Amino acid sequence: MDGVMSADIIVIILATGIRLATPFLLAALGEMFVQRSGVYNLGVEGIMMMGAFAGFYATLQLGTPLLGIAISLAIGALMGLIMAVVSVTFKAEQGISGIGLYMFGWGLSGLLFRLYVGGVTSIDGLKPIAIPLLSNIPIIGPVLFNHNGLVYTAFLLVPLSGLILYKTSWGLNVRAVGNKPEAADTLGVSVVRIRYECLILGGMLAALAGAFLTIGQANMYADNITAGRGFIAIALVYFGRWSPWGILLGSLLFSMADSFQSMVQVLGINFPYELAVILPYLVTIIALAISYGRVWAPAALGKPFQRGTRG
Amino acid sequence: MSSNYNGVFKQIMVLISALVGALLVGALFLLLAKSDPVKAYGVMFSGPFSDKFGITETLVRAVPLLLVGLGIVISFRSGIINIGAEGQILAGAIGATAVATSLPDLPAVMLLPLVFLAGATCGGLWGGIAGWLKARLSVNEILSTVMLNQIALQIYLFLIRGPLIDPKEVSYGTGVPQTALIPEHIWLSKLIPGTRIHSGLIFALLLAVLVYVFLWKTSSGYRMRAVGAGPEAARYAGIRVEWYLVLAMALAGGMAGLAGVVEVAGVHHRSLEGLSAGYGFSGIVAALFGRLHPLGTIPASVLFGALLVGADMMQRAVNIPAAMIMVIQGLVVLFVVSSDYFLQNPDFGARIKAKLFGEKADGEGGK
Amino acid sequence: MKKNVLSVILAVLTLLAFTGCGTKPTAEPAPQKTDVEKIRIALVLPATVDDMAWGQSMVDGLKEVQKSMGEDKVEVAISEKLGNAVDAGSAIRQYATQGYEIIFAHGSQYQSVLNDIAKDFPETTFAYGTGFATQPNIFAYDPQAQEGGYLLGILAAHMTKSGVVGIIGPVESGDAVKYNYGVQQGVAKGKADVQTRIAYTGSFNDIVGAGNLAKTQMSAGADILTGSSQQAVGAVRAIGETEGNYWLSTDMDQSSIAPNHVLASQVYHWEKVVTKIIELRKQGTLGGQHLTLTLADGTIEFKYNEKLADKVPAEVKAAVEAAKQEIISGKLKVELPKK
Repeated sequence: MDGVMSADIIVIILATGIRLATPFLLAALGEMFVQRSGVYNLGVEGIMMMGAFAGFYATLQLGTPLLGIAISLAIGALMGLIMAVVSVTFKAEQGISGIGLYMFGWGLSGLLFRLYVGGVTSIDGLKPIAIPLLSNIPIIGPVLFNHNGLVYTAFLLVPLSGLILYKTSWGLNVRAVGNKPEAADTLGVSVVRIRYECLILGGMLAALAGAFLTIGQANMYADNITAGRGFIAIALVYFGRWSPWGILLGSLLFSMADSFQSMVQVLGINFPYELAVILPYLVTIIALAISYGRVWAPAALGKPFQRGTRG
Repeated sequence: MSSNYNGVFKQIMVLISALVGALLVGALFLLLAKSDPVKAYGVMFSGPFSDKFGITETLVRAVPLLLVGLGIVISFRSGIINIGAEGQILAGAIGATAVATSLPDLPAVMLLPLVFLAGATCGGLWGGIAGWLKARLSVNEILSTVMLNQIALQIYLFLIRGPLIDPKEVSYGTGVPQTALIPEHIWLSKLIPGTRIHSGLIFALLLAVLVYVFLWKTSSGYRMRAVGAGPEAARYAGIRVEWYLVLAMALAGGMAGLAGVVEVAGVHHRSLEGLSAGYGFSGIVAALFGRLHPLGTIPASVLFGALLVGADMMQRAVNIPAAMIMVIQGLVVLFVVSSDYFLQNPDFGARIKAKLFGEKADGEGGK
Repeated sequence: MKKNVLSVILAVLTLLAFTGCGTKPTAEPAPQKTDVEKIRIALVLPATVDDMAWGQSMVDGLKEVQKSMGEDKVEVAISEKLGNAVDAGSAIRQYATQGYEIIFAHGSQYQSVLNDIAKDFPETTFAYGTGFATQPNIFAYDPQAQEGGYLLGILAAHMTKSGVVGIIGPVESGDAVKYNYGVQQGVAKGKADVQTRIAYTGSFNDIVGAGNLAKTQMSAGADILTGSSQQAVGAVRAIGETEGNYWLSTDMDQSSIAPNHVLASQVYHWEKVVTKIIELRKQGTLGGQHLTLTLADGTIEFKYNEKLADKVPAEVKAAVEAAKQEIISGKLKVELPKK
């Protein structure tokens, strides 16, 4: 083991971890707004798949990843809208609507791919942008400042989400609607409208997370491309206690553990690789278990809002 | 009485309308896939019910769906959102297989109960972990069960390719990750020869009645539901909330574990890759269709099993991509959950229903 | 008691579905008819028909047979994405009921399911792989993935500049292990001081994970990479974006994904296996044989990417060719992993 974990190796682990954290961060920040408004959307995985396909297909047809991102955002908004109609307007049980949306998104993305693309097709995705000067700093330069645009976007969204949630009146409304919808309603805040807005925003960010997988990482599309990442993102919202910084911490912890386990395998350090693959999941559970205490979940999470009835 | 019949009629009509709505939207995608929706749906609905093959295959799916669904009923009724059935199924399957393959000479009367017990215990322990984490350390169960699914899958794969691999796979050098066959004398007997339907069906039905009795006729069941209805109030009433949370998750995991046992003893006769056909998720849907009632879950499992079988048959009959199956399932789930609203808001429901039936008549006219 | 009412509704609804649909004309032709002129073949796949790996290689093989025997002589039906054995079992049974004569269940996980079904359809030929266990009407096929792996390993050992060959595995089992073990032996034989590093994604279809693992492999020094199953295409694509790194493909020629990076391939010629099974069936042998795919009988081909063939020095090609002849003549037996 000695000497194996040299500085170079650590840089690779960290840089990879940051790249891996991006889709979790995007999807989890979106889901955070959704849950803050009192809805939980288990359909994130399905929205991610639709976003991944839309981004891929638009990039393939239009030749530019930026248009791919734009179209992916639009599709994400649409998927969020579907969830909103079902779970807010029709007040359907949220867990099951989310699973329905997941199946629908998985099926539709696979169907469209087969109908309009088929086979293994490559695209030219986003290129890394080295930030001048900063990327030349020894060690941390390549770790932090040589990624593609979506990686920077995801990390910039953390403080931005914090500002929106805690410092704007809209953020205040979101939190009010998630905690005391009746009170918010009495004060003239439209619970339905806020929840629609949050679900659409969450859908857009989930789709962006999906688009990152196709146009920011794989540069191709395959069935089930998200491979469970959407569900991990939902778990990270709980891990992060519905706060952007908590989500950042959780995403980084999970991804660094993943990046670390890949490196351990590559370097041939001998232990069953299954153990290595489950390491990120184990670390997340343990981290949560040892930091136990009161969980600050939005009080109205999962409860459809019915004007004039209480609790 | 008559108003009750009216209510039943209305509820059926709303559910049927929801199904029709989902299928109409699905038809758009079928047209997109250049296949004839009328023919496709014809196969999807007639396939599972038209012959012995379709009916038995439907029931083969319904058995694990029902068992998982019963576990979901117990956990959701106790206020726990258990998404971990998929991992609990695997835990049950591998526990059962390990016991069955290591004691091959035991007579069936002893081995079979032992195998069921082992599966239920492994599933129960796996579910119990999430319950304990929630009760003692306030770890959210959605988080822990999602993570535990991944962990269970990897441990399962490790066991079937490593310590529990069929020795023949090693000696022939093929190395396929599967365990040895369990002894033939404990294979669940087939209810109809030449099909796959096995006696696990009867077991699952009996268990459904048992769960109903447990939840509604025993004090433990009552306390569990009280915890689900409101943990604070339950605590105030002197109920040990933590204990019932763990118990609920252990029972839910045990049920899912039994689903794993039944799949091993009734269908595959060993543990192998792709053992669960996504029953961990479909079981949640079945339980919710059954209105989180153990007896309601019975017809719901059959219905959902038929949907799975019919959609799969559709792939072969009209040659559409397999992904279409998921599209239709997703739409059915979305429309059916939305339809609840029309039951709770009769006026609004009546208006929309009139519109829907108008549309439906048009669609039939066009055939 | 509202809940009970609801369960009654669902029961009634189910009954409705039973009775309502029973009257419809059935679309399925049930009788088992044997058409002398036309062979009806069905294929059941765990992944997709266009996965650029295991599944697609078999689909291409069937198309080839269809072409050589005549479109009107061979009918092919395919069901894909049947990764779990339950749904696969339905599909196989349905094909058998519909009178398909040869049914390929193209995955090692289908062995149990086939054993169960084959007894009920003694006139139908079933085939599956990778596997060894047969029945009177079940063929098992078994690609000797280690043979091509060995040759690719020798090539890798000579072509690497960094002295590190990386393997991106899916799950440590079956064909993947056989193939990896062959590569390892080939590398060791090619150059003693070249390292082989194996890492697994833990999934057969996570292309993003495989791409990331390939990036980690390359950043840790590997410049020649290989790996199996459909997840591998993600790794091929990741290598396609780099300079000076090469990929070695298995199951089929993957050079269309990264024409300038896929150096050579181990290609399975399923059409020969399919043709052989058709012939055997015509002669009255419905199953019972363990069919291996080997370099010797031409069912496994070692193939350079023509576009890059001039990058490989003549002496390296000679070394690979020599090893190939030794394997074909039986002088060299590439070992299988022993646990």
